[in-house]
Order: sequence, then structure tokens, then C-alpha cells
Amino acid sequence: MKQLRGHILRTAFAVVGVTALLATSACSMNVKNQASGPSDGSLLVAADNGSPTFEKNFNPFSTSKRVATTYMYEPLRVTNTLDGTATPFLATGNTLPDAKTVVYDIRTGVKWSDGTAFTPADVLYTFNLVKATPALDTWGVWQHIESLEVVGDTVVFHLKTEDVPAASIIDQQLIVPEHIWKDVKDPVTWKNEKPVTTGPFVLDTFTANQYTLKKNVDYWQADKVAVEKLVLPAANSQLDVVKNGYDWAYAFITDVEGTWVNADKQHNKYWFPPGGTITLSPNLTRAPYNDVNFRQGLSLALDREKIATDAEQGYVDAAGQSGLLLPNQEAWLNADLPNEGVVAQDKTAALAAFAKAGYTQQGDKMVDASGTQLSINILTANGYTDWLQGLQTVQSQLGALGIDVKLSQPQPAAYTEALSKGDFDIAMNSFGGTGSVFQDMNTLLNSEFATPIGTGTTGNYGRFSDPKVDALLAQLKASTDETEQKAISAQLQTVLYEQLPVISMFYGGLWGLSSDKNFTNWPSEKNAYAPPNTWNSTPLLILTNLKKAK
Amino acid sequence: MTPTRTIIPPTSIVKTMSPGDHAGTANPLRVLWRAFATIWSVPKARIGVAMLGVFVLVAIFAPLLAPYAATDNSFGRSEDMSAAHWLGTTAAGQDVLSQLIYGARVSVFVGFVAGLLSTIIAVLIGLSWGYLRGFAGEVINFIVNLFLVIPALPLMIVIAAYLQNGGIGMIVLVVVITGWAWGARVLRSQTQSLRSRDFVTAAIFSGESPSRIVFREILPNMTSLIVGSFFGASTAAILAEAGLEFLGLGDSTTVSWGTMLFWAQNSNALLTGQWVLLFAPGLCISLLATSMSLINFGVDGLSNPRLREGAKR
Amino acid sequence: MRYTLSKVGLLLLTLWAAVTLNFLLPRLMPGSPADAAIAKLAQNGPVSPSTRAAIEAQLGVPTGSAWDQYLQYLNNVVHFDFGVSYTFFPQSVASLVATALPWTLVLVGFVTIVAFIFGTLLGVLAAWKRGSWLDTLPTVGGTFASAFPYFWTALLLLFFLGYVAGWFPTSGAYSSSATPDFSVAFLLDALYHSILPATTILITSLGGWILGMRSTMINTLGDDYVTFAEANGLHPRTVAIRYAARNAILPNLTSFGLALGGVVGGSLLVERVFNYPGVGYLLYTAVVNQDFPLMQALFLIITISVLLANFIVDILYGILDPRTRR
Repeated sequence: MKQLRGHILRTAFAVVGVTALLATSACSMNVKNQASGPSDGSLLVAADNGSPTFEKNFNPFSTSKRVATTYMYEPLRVTNTLDGTATPFLATGNTLPDAKTVVYDIRTGVKWSDGTAFTPADVLYTFNLVKATPALDTWGVWQHIESLEVVGDTVVFHLKTEDVPAASIIDQQLIVPEHIWKDVKDPVTWKNEKPVTTGPFVLDTFTANQYTLKKNVDYWQADKVAVEKLVLPAANSQLDVVKNGYDWAYAFITDVEGTWVNADKQHNKYWFPPGGTITLSPNLTRAPYNDVNFRQGLSLALDREKIATDAEQGYVDAAGQSGLLLPNQEAWLNADLPNEGVVAQDKTAALAAFAKAGYTQQGDKMVDASGTQLSINILTANGYTDWLQGLQTVQSQLGALGIDVKLSQPQPAAYTEALSKGDFDIAMNSFGGTGSVFQDMNTLLNSEFATPIGTGTTGNYGRFSDPKVDALLAQLKASTDETEQKAISAQLQTVLYEQLPVISMFYGGLWGLSSDKNFTNWPSEKNAYAPPNTWNSTPLLILTNLKKAK
Repeated sequence: MTPTRTIIPPTSIVKTMSPGDHAGTANPLRVLWRAFATIWSVPKARIGVAMLGVFVLVAIFAPLLAPYAATDNSFGRSEDMSAAHWLGTTAAGQDVLSQLIYGARVSVFVGFVAGLLSTIIAVLIGLSWGYLRGFAGEVINFIVNLFLVIPALPLMIVIAAYLQNGGIGMIVLVVVITGWAWGARVLRSQTQSLRSRDFVTAAIFSGESPSRIVFREILPNMTSLIVGSFFGASTAAILAEAGLEFLGLGDSTTVSWGTMLFWAQNSNALLTGQWVLLFAPGLCISLLATSMSLINFGVDGLSNPRLREGAKR
Repeated sequence: MRYTLSKVGLLLLTLWAAVTLNFLLPRLMPGSPADAAIAKLAQNGPVSPSTRAAIEAQLGVPTGSAWDQYLQYLNNVVHFDFGVSYTFFPQSVASLVATALPWTLVLVGFVTIVAFIFGTLLGVLAAWKRGSWLDTLPTVGGTFASAFPYFWTALLLLFFLGYVAGWFPTSGAYSSSATPDFSVAFLLDALYHSILPATTILITSLGGWILGMRSTMINTLGDDYVTFAEANGLHPRTVAIRYAARNAILPNLTSFGLALGGVVGGSLLVERVFNYPGVGYLLYTAVVNQDFPLMQALFLIITISVLLANFIVDILYGILDPRTRR
């Protein structure tokens, strides 16, 4: 009994002690940066999140593959999605003899990681494999290709139509080794646990909580790879990222200065370039959203700077109505657009536009001819908290004009379904960011995607349809001349600016965090050679550009 | 019940009826008053009543008490505690104290309404189930068992995902759907044991209708059990609401303690060192739930003098 | 025998209903698995239109009429074939569940048993020493602690003991460099990782057992046979433990059965906060990603475990307390 009492006393003291500790630490308690980063040439990256652990799947065609699969397999060329410039990888370059043919010069002297030589036949095999198994065609290459053949050290692609942008899609296909994959029974479900690759890294160790890649010593540009080892843990909570001294992470962190940068002021940097445009996308088949004046009214009523600040804490800029990602795509901007396409809030003009659409202010309410208050329902996805915060600001800004704004927030899957089937009044959605102006505009505006309401589509959710725009897109698709491409793109920008098929609000950021403690030459605003994201093939650009810190 | 919680029957499940309790015909007001006096006589319950009272008052007078509007985001982001913001501001620039005060409304509302609704369902089903025999009884038995074995939290998540976009109403509905079965089961066992009592037999012989027997003879004898299961269901509802909102399945634009936790976690309040953002709403939820459990100590004593505090055996 | 048979019949009927409900529930959710997969990809930026076709082809979205799907599903359930997970494609559901189940069973199962034993003992003590600090401390403390939201306790422990003090690992079930095996080093590592989640569950569930046991115990202590035993001059401790506690524990066994059954599905929030690779986390992932096959398998396992635990308790009860058999 006495012992028990002693124990309880001790426990009580401990409780009091902890409470006192809490009290004295006042309201701020900072997590210390405990870990010293690895200095043995290894790079700790928060790129792949387990749920909560990893399943071993390195099938480059699978959508649930391990993220670092794309650090091992290479495509023909890698496009910097920020400005559209391509860097040759397994191809040394490509030429377009005409708008229906693309010729890729395949790199020679490249070896697969098992020592077998890489040949143009592997490229041919990969594309034919994808053709034979449509489930592998995640890039949709066979929507563009008619046939392909090996000619010497080149692979010649014959396209279905005059299709210049097709090259940017063919570029992205990851190439797999024929001598391994020809024996695979079902390439869709094969997990490819021992990947044989051409890229800068090969699989080193794998556990359910962490896997590592080591440098491929026989890599064809091994001299450019400074990283000896990549470490990818399964758990990368933001606390971990800040505390454990990561070298590279992709994360939206609240108060990045006070957290990430503060953890190591000397080395920790961040860069949030625009990776897409977040828009309000009206359903153009429904009234009053099909009235351009109404859309003008909505557009003019919004203070985009404030929305951008509230949604993304001031880390991104308000987006203009040009459909381009600025400043990266500045070269494509139509110089005639006022204020680079950015629409400023103008309540008087907004009221005038609404009046043209048949809505007038009566007291503190915006009403239609019959006197009913204008009520709009904005669709967004549950859990996209930054969008939600932006929308709350939209709600109050439109509310100030007397418009009743309701938010509808289904789960992401239901949201996607509603978008796809056109079951919404006006939806928050993003577009762009592929690096190709044609792809961005085409997915957004081509009437080919404007399926009837109730049938699923994969782009142009607002069902915009304009034969003139379709013609412009076809011209752009067939054009091999950059000056001409820019001229056509300028006309499309004018369409976006004047007809408002979508109302651009702000840029979706690419939340890149990096530390130059162990490695330098990370992409940055001044040196935007690659986007900072950790998925897809663009990390190859980063991994072949990093330098060891001195 | 935070659905993951171990299911504990209200203590009254095993209660034996004491003979003096067949007060079926007494004046309801006096019964209520006596019940309150019994509860109040228990010190723990007294504390509970006081705590609950404070929360209810805060909820009712939130607009008067809160220094700012709950959704006013015009302040600095993630500010520390200061004279202007006693508990600091959120990552979106809202005053934490004001949110905390307004948040009481949602929790108290959900606790009260969901607790009441599930208790009503539990009483209706539990009592008729306890009284009925034969096929009808088996059918109810089957339905209740089904609701008892289906995992509550996953079921809630699925329902919440299905009834997308609902706010508080949806949460109440989800909590009621998943929360009534346990109470029904407890009430049924009590009804069964009461059914064989002399006063019920007497009522049957005097030709009273079954519904009258159930609701006029048996029901009043289960006051404490029903009040107990109301507070139990309320506690469960408050915790479930917090859990669902924390997972982001509610309407995240409502200001409640659950959404405060959701946003705190979402904006990594721990990382910016603002652990108060996480600590305060959770503490309020715990205190509100505790107040109800404390009151239940008094409720236990209502029909069972043995459990009355201070009443040494 | 009749008692057991009727219980078995009810068990089978409930099982069928639960299985059917499992079939229906996921299908009630809006959006298809492909929509969910695309929504997930879209968080990294806009998804190219052609990706959708590939994803639908990969997942092999359910075909046939609802009735055919139902029959197929029943057939598969009987053969314990739950197909391939959508989220972790091409991983089979069975292998995912097999990896996750032991973690939850060991962690939550163990903690539930410890909480039951410990809480019951404290409850006995509280009732026996009624009114003393041995009563007040556990009752009030237990009441308060069991009112903590699970995830909140978890977050606080995680932050203060994991991050600020740095005493315990903050995530996962074992170190990132370790590979699961049965070596002492690995078991110690796993044990170390389980301390915070285990403490969370213990803190929040202990109070219930204390209160439950205390009140039944107080009831029994007033029963005639206990008074009789005391009057016969038996030592109070003997009376408390040999007579009162033994009888008082019966009703709590029911709750214990339910709690054990609830182990499998009960730790979703805790597992989520601690990134614990158990069934709860898996279920969360499945629901969020509209992973029908995985969701159905997990629902089924959870339902069966609750049913079985209930069934066993019912049978046990029938043996321990003949009155219930009627």
C-alpha cells in the first residue's frame, strides 16, 4: 500500500512538473531542428508518401507506382513544364520533316542497368507494348500515333493527323527494356520489383517504411550526377520535413518563413512557381452562366489579389485572363491584352455587366427581373482547404454585391464525377501546367471535350464550344513555325479574355522546399531550369543539375 | 461515442430495482424536481451541472462574450497570444478565443439534439422490443444487432461522404443513425426485467393495453436509465462530431471545436509552435464531455440508492 | 443446445445482412474509383485527359448488372477472394489486409486487454475503498480522461513527447531502416514505436473500465450474500475479491467482448495520427480513395470480429450464468 502511495505521489509530481513545463513555455513552443542532414552524398527527399507504408511497385506504367520509378526510367525528352523547353534524354533530339512525322534520334552508347545495350528497338517495343495494352497508355500516345518504325539510329513516328504538339506527348513516354518486358505475362499488374533501367539511379534497398536509390555508375551522363544516394522515407509529415533536415521536399507549409526557413536560416530555401491556373469554371450550358455579361460581372466583382492571399497565404500571384502561367510563359503573352490580362476589381463595371445580364441591385440584394435574389452554387472538393479559403473570400466579395453564394463540397471523387458529367453551376477547378500552350488551351477550349451534360468528359468541363476557336486550335496543332504558333495563341488568349469561358483567379503553386546544405544549384526563380515538383520526369532535370555543396 | 471508444454500458445496465421506486403515477414536475435534487446532492454531479451550465451559457451568449466575429479573418496570421488576441490568431487570421466561444454553440447543439434524438429512438425501440415477444421481437433484435456490429466510425465516414456537403444537420443525422442501438439494447434488458415485476403483472391483469403498460407503467421506472443514456449519447455525439470534423468530413467552413482542430492540424499549428490552437478546442470538448459523465454519477443514484454518493453501504 | 443453436442462426443471419450491407454501402458513395484516382492525381496538378481512359482500363471498373455484381461478390466472399485493391493496384486486397492486421491485433488487442485488467482492478479497489482517495482519484481521473477525443490525446502525446521532448518515435510501427522479422532487436524497436499509440488508447479507454467495474461492484457489495459472508467473519478483502468482484465482473465481460471485437476497426484515428500501418489506417485510405474491394474486405473483417466476439460472449454468458438461457 505504501509503495502504491509512493508511486502515485511520484506520478502526481510528474504531472505537476509537466504542467509547469507547459505553463512556463508560454504559448510558443518550437520544435527544435534536431537532425543533422546526411553528409555522405545522400539526399533526403520527401517525395513519396506511404499510406502509411510502401507497397513495392516499380511498374512505370502503373498509376500507383512508387514515385521514384521516374527517377530510374527515362523518357525520350524531358520538358520543363514551366516554359516548355525540352532537354534530350534517351533521344538526342527530334526533327519534324512535316507536321505528320516526327523523327527521334536515339542516343547511342546507353546501357540498361543489367549491362544490356539500349537500342532503338527498345523504343519501338515500348510504344508497341502500350498500343497492345491500352491500360498502359497513361499519356495517350496512341491517340496521336498512326505507326512507328526504326530507321538506323532513329525512330520515325507517323502521326494520325497534322499534329505538331504530339511530339511533346511522345517525349514523355518512359522507355522500358524489351529483353525484360517481353517475358512479362501481364504488364498491367506486374510489380516490377527489380527495375532494370537506364536512368541516373537504380534501386538500392527497399523496406515498407523507406527505400533508397543509389547512383547508377554506368549512367550515360554519370558525370552530371552529384547525388550518391537518394533516401525516400514513407512518413513525411511537415513536422518531419522541418525537423529532420530534409534536402528536398514538396509541401505547402503554413508560414514557410517561420517554419522551414527558420529551421536552418542559412540553407533552407523555398520556391513556389505557378504550376496551373485556379479558376471558377461556369457551366456554359446553364443560364445565367451562358451569358457572357453575367460572367463579366462575376469576373469584375472579384479582388483576385485578396483571394490569392487568403487561399495561399500570399505565396502565389493573382492569375490573369490570358490562360498562361506568368512569368514563365511570358514569351507567349499577347501584348495587346491590357494589364497583361489581369482583371482588376471594379464594382461599378461589375454592376453594369450584371445589369446587361438582367440583374440589378435592389437594396442590398442582387435580384433578377422577377425580384428573386441571385444565388449561385460553387462546387469544390472537400479537403482542398486552400481552395476553400479562397472561396470563402469569393463568397464575401460577391456577397458584398448582394449575391447569395453557396458552397458545395463533395468528396474529391464525387467532385471529379460532377465536373466530368457537367453536373454543376460553377466549379472551382484548375487547368494548364503541362508546359505546352497547345495542350493547355486545347484541353480547356476544344469543343471535342464538350460532351452532352451527363456524359463524362476529361477536359473543357464548362462545355465551351466555338467553331472559330476549334479552327484556331487545329491551326495551332498543325503549325511548325513558332512565330505563327505565338500569333494563334495570342488570338486564343483574346478569346479567353473576352468570352471568359473560365474566370481565372490565382495560380496554383508548386511548393518546392530545398536546402543547399548538402547540394546546391536547386532550381529557383533566377535559374528556373525545372519545376520543383518531385513526381514525373522533371526531377531528372534536377538530379542531373545538382552540385555537391562545398 | 468516439466510435473507436470501448463501449461501456451506462452503469445502470446492471442496476437492480429498489422496491421504493414504483412511483409511476406521481406528479411529473415533482418527479423532475426530486430527480434534480438527488443529482444535486452528489458533489461530483454538482460540479458537472455547473460545468455544463457554463458551456450552455457561453453557447447562448457567444455574440456578447466573443471579442470578435468568429469568421473575421482581418487579423495577422498565426499571431501569438497578446492582449488583443488572448489565445492568438489562426493561420487564416481569425481570433482563436472568439472561435472557441462560438464553437461551443455547435458542440452543445449537436450534443443536445443528437443525444435527444438517439435517446428517443432508443426508448421507442428498446421498450417495444423489451415488451414484445415472438417474431416482431426477433426482427427488432436482428436490426439492433446489425447496427451494433457494423463498425460505427467507418459507417459514419461512408454516410458522411454520401451525404456530401451537409453541415451540422448531416453530422447529427450520422451520429443518430450510428448511435441509437446501444441505448436500445440497454433499455430493452431493463424492460424485460421490469416486465416480470408484480406491478406490471397487476397492470396486465387489470386489462391495460400493452402500449399503456409500456409507456405509463414501465417507462417512468426507467427515468434514470433514460437520462443516463441521454447524457451518454450526448457525450458520444460531441466526440463523434469532433472526430468527423477533424477528419475533414464535415463542412469545414462552420466554426466548431472539431473544425478548429481540423484547421489547426491542416495549417500545422504545432509547427508554428501554436499548440494552443490544438490544445484549447480539445480541452473544451473533453470538459464538456466530462461534465456530462459527472452528471451521470448523480443520475446513477436516482433509482439506485446504493450508488448514491455518500451513501455508505 | 437450443440456446446455442438459436444464437448460431442469428449469427449467420446477421452475417448475411452485414455482408449485403457491405456490398451496398460503397456503391452508395458518389463518384467512381477512377474519379477517386483522378482526384488524387489532380492534387499534383491538372490530369491529362488520356490518363482517365488508362486508369479505367487498369482498374477494370465493375461491369454487369448490380445483381450479377452481388452474386459475384457473395461467391468471392465465400472463397475469401476480395480481388485487387484500386488504391494499391495491382496489390491484392488479401495481402494488404494480411500485412496490416497483425499490427492492429497486437497493438490494440494487447492494450485493450491491459486496459480491461487494469481498469477492472482499479474499479474493484475504488468500490471497496469507496469515498477514499483511492476511489476519487481513479473515478474522477478516469471520467476526465475518457472524455478526451482519441485523436486529440494522440496529437498532444505526439507533439510533446515525440517532437518537443524527442523521447519517442513519431510515426510508423518500426524504424525506417528495419525489416520486419522476429529478432529481438526488431521486436524491441516495434515495442518502442508502439508506446505512444498504446498510451493514447490506454488513457482514453481505462476510465470506462474503472467506472463500469466500480458501479457493478458497489451493487454487489450491497447484496445479501456479501453481507452474509461479512457477518460470518470473513476477511473483508476475501469478501471483496472472492465474492463481490467475481460476480460483479460478469456484466463487464459483455463490454469486454464488444471491445475486443471492436479492436480491429477501433483504432482508425489513432493509427492515422501515428501513421501506424494497421487496419484502421488501411480503412481510412480505402474510404478516401473509393477503394471498393479493400473497403468491403475490411468492413467484413471488422463486422465478423465484432459478431464473433459477441457470439462468444453470449455463449460464455450462457455457461457462466444459467439464468440467461431460459
